[in-house]
Amino acid sequence: MAKNKLQLPPLKNKKPVWASLGFMGLGQLLFQQQYVKGAFYTLIELLVLINSHHFIKAITGLITLGDPQPDLPIRQRPNSIFMMVEGIIFLILLALFILLYISNVRDAIKTQRNYERTGHYPGTRAFMSSLADTSFAVVGLSPAMLMILFFVVLPLVFSAMLAFTNYSSPHHIPPANTVDWVGVENFQTLAGRSLWAGAFGRTALWTVLWATLATTTCYVGGLLIALALINKNIRFPNFFRVVYILPYAVPAMLSLMVWRNLLNGQFGPINRMLMEWGWISQPIHWLSDFTLARTSMVVVNLWLGFPYFMMLITGVMTSVPKDLYEASQIDGANPRVQFFKITMPLVLYQTMPLFIMSFSYNLNNFGAVYFLTGGGPTDLATTQSGAGATDILMSWMYKLTLDLRQYNIAAVLSILVFLVIAPFAIYNFSRTKAFKEGEL
Amino acid sequence: MSTMSYKKKRQPLTIGRLFTYLLLYAILLLVVIWVLYPLLFTVSSAFSLGDSLAGLTVYPFQQELGLRQFERLFQDTNYLQWFTNTLKIATVNSLLSVTVTTITAFIFSRFKFTAKKPLMMSMLILQMFPSFAGMIALYILVWRMGLLDNHLGLILIYAAGNIPYNTWLIKGYLDTIPRSLDEAARVDGAGYLTSFWRIILPIARPMVTFLAITSFTGPWMDFILPRLLIKTDSKKTLAVGLFELINGRENNYFTMFAAGAVLVAVPFVIIFALNQKYLTQVLASGAVKE
Repeated sequence: MAKNKLQLPPLKNKKPVWASLGFMGLGQLLFQQQYVKGAFYTLIELLVLINSHHFIKAITGLITLGDPQPDLPIRQRPNSIFMMVEGIIFLILLALFILLYISNVRDAIKTQRNYERTGHYPGTRAFMSSLADTSFAVVGLSPAMLMILFFVVLPLVFSAMLAFTNYSSPHHIPPANTVDWVGVENFQTLAGRSLWAGAFGRTALWTVLWATLATTTCYVGGLLIALALINKNIRFPNFFRVVYILPYAVPAMLSLMVWRNLLNGQFGPINRMLMEWGWISQPIHWLSDFTLARTSMVVVNLWLGFPYFMMLITGVMTSVPKDLYEASQIDGANPRVQFFKITMPLVLYQTMPLFIMSFSYNLNNFGAVYFLTGGGPTDLATTQSGAGATDILMSWMYKLTLDLRQYNIAAVLSILVFLVIAPFAIYNFSRTKAFKEGEL
Repeated sequence: MSTMSYKKKRQPLTIGRLFTYLLLYAILLLVVIWVLYPLLFTVSSAFSLGDSLAGLTVYPFQQELGLRQFERLFQDTNYLQWFTNTLKIATVNSLLSVTVTTITAFIFSRFKFTAKKPLMMSMLILQMFPSFAGMIALYILVWRMGLLDNHLGLILIYAAGNIPYNTWLIKGYLDTIPRSLDEAARVDGAGYLTSFWRIILPIARPMVTFLAITSFTGPWMDFILPRLLIKTDSKKTLAVGLFELINGRENNYFTMFAAGAVLVAVPFVIIFALNQKYLTQVLASGAVKE
């Protein structure tokens, strides 16, 4: 959008602008005959001023998080976490107020400029009619904006802040104790040589390895099946396709819990079957051996995930324009050349974005861990850190929050995880039609 | 489904080729068994009479069949309650999401106002955050609002979390509807609400339907949030109820769990089968870069 930026002459009379800068709405009210608008602005500022002690109290609370008062009964002790949430709410209100203040000054400038050009101020009637338009927008937007502020922005700000506190069990859980700001201590804990750092290193490594293995196996598996079924010599390809698509149609959570039972070390039918056939004499610990559990996870995920890529790749292969093949045939290309020079490049090119998205999905594939292995098997270090052998960052975070109440470490993890997936999210979104075509 | 292949016709069989195809069929059949076994085993467990995993035959449908597990499920657990809870949450979430999102998208698409650009950009950034990032705060917030153990808290969080992404989605669609249409209606004296309701919504129906369906199916198998916020058993959703039914006591409850799982999975598979063509298109269009 090329905007024609005109060099505007400086305002002759700056008094209203200064007045509005000093007290919201004053310029509009005293100099610009904007009574309704001015009164609205003034009222808001008055409301904020009257309630300023609430603002001050909430924001001081956010800064100090309360002093420990062990002699008070527990119910009356300052609750740092509530103070934090309230502090953030008032911070948001303050930010909104500042935005309104800025809009008030800009409005004063605009009105004044208009006046100096045309020689009169817009009347109340003109303002009221423009208000009808604005009020529809304001009323229509406010539910969405309020919901986003409270249930999306506030929680995100809160958990980002938690990363810099010591909110954790057993010594810093309100209401019995207070929580304090500790700077970047939690980040140092994870980067240092402590038990936490060990658990973090192992989990982070497995998260990346897991996402790579899970995505690649599903992609290659789906590709191979799609290739086999598109072959003209294979009979009943649609029968195979319908069967193979079933794992995709069943909710993954249910399938994972079924697999957990199939692979049960004691009573699982898979072990019993293998023993019946005489292949093994002892039950195999599918989900309770370090390496086996990780392998089982990848294989079960292949069961869940290959149908998606099979469907996708089949779709791409059947939509390759026929004339490409015909033209290449005239040029003397045999099926093999056609396959490697036309089909495969097209399939790879068109499915690569979905491969990348699938990778970022697997980085956070909570279900594949939690419902199958529950993060286990555990080892000695697990008792304190909570991270089992198959835990990925996401499932570890869940355990830290719900079972171990190590909220500070969980918050650091959520920041780190966000930093890792943000590029994928940006990439993903930049591809969507809404982003490419939509104007801001 | 037509399968256009790069090969023009079947090739004549030679011994080598015959061998290759036999091998290929063998592999395909093994995959069929691998895919079907867990599903058939679950269905057969759901109809078994025994209560333990250890007592089930290894091969599906080799034991006596009956409806005992379904009776247990309905009598001993709150399964029906979980089902209606989830249905309720999914329906309300769908309605709420559609209402709030379409109006928001309409305003972003048709109005000009001061902070429009920054607002759109912040929504773009917000939709990148995974919902679990604010888990602890959501818990405290819902607790302070007195909505803990209450479906309303869950619904509000579901609906709010999806606003940013869906607004972009719907706004992008509304932008493609010519402005002249609703402006003409406004000239004829229709208010914003009327032109939105009568002109825009009917044209945007495919997108609105898509939004309604995704926000309906979303809550069915969501686990983390309901596990966090709902404590009373009779208020639980299906995913949490089923999970806690067998968690830690696999052996004695697997068959009952299987019955519950079959009851949820069957409608899912049917819906999938009905939408399969549409779904393939959506997937394919996602794959094909314009």
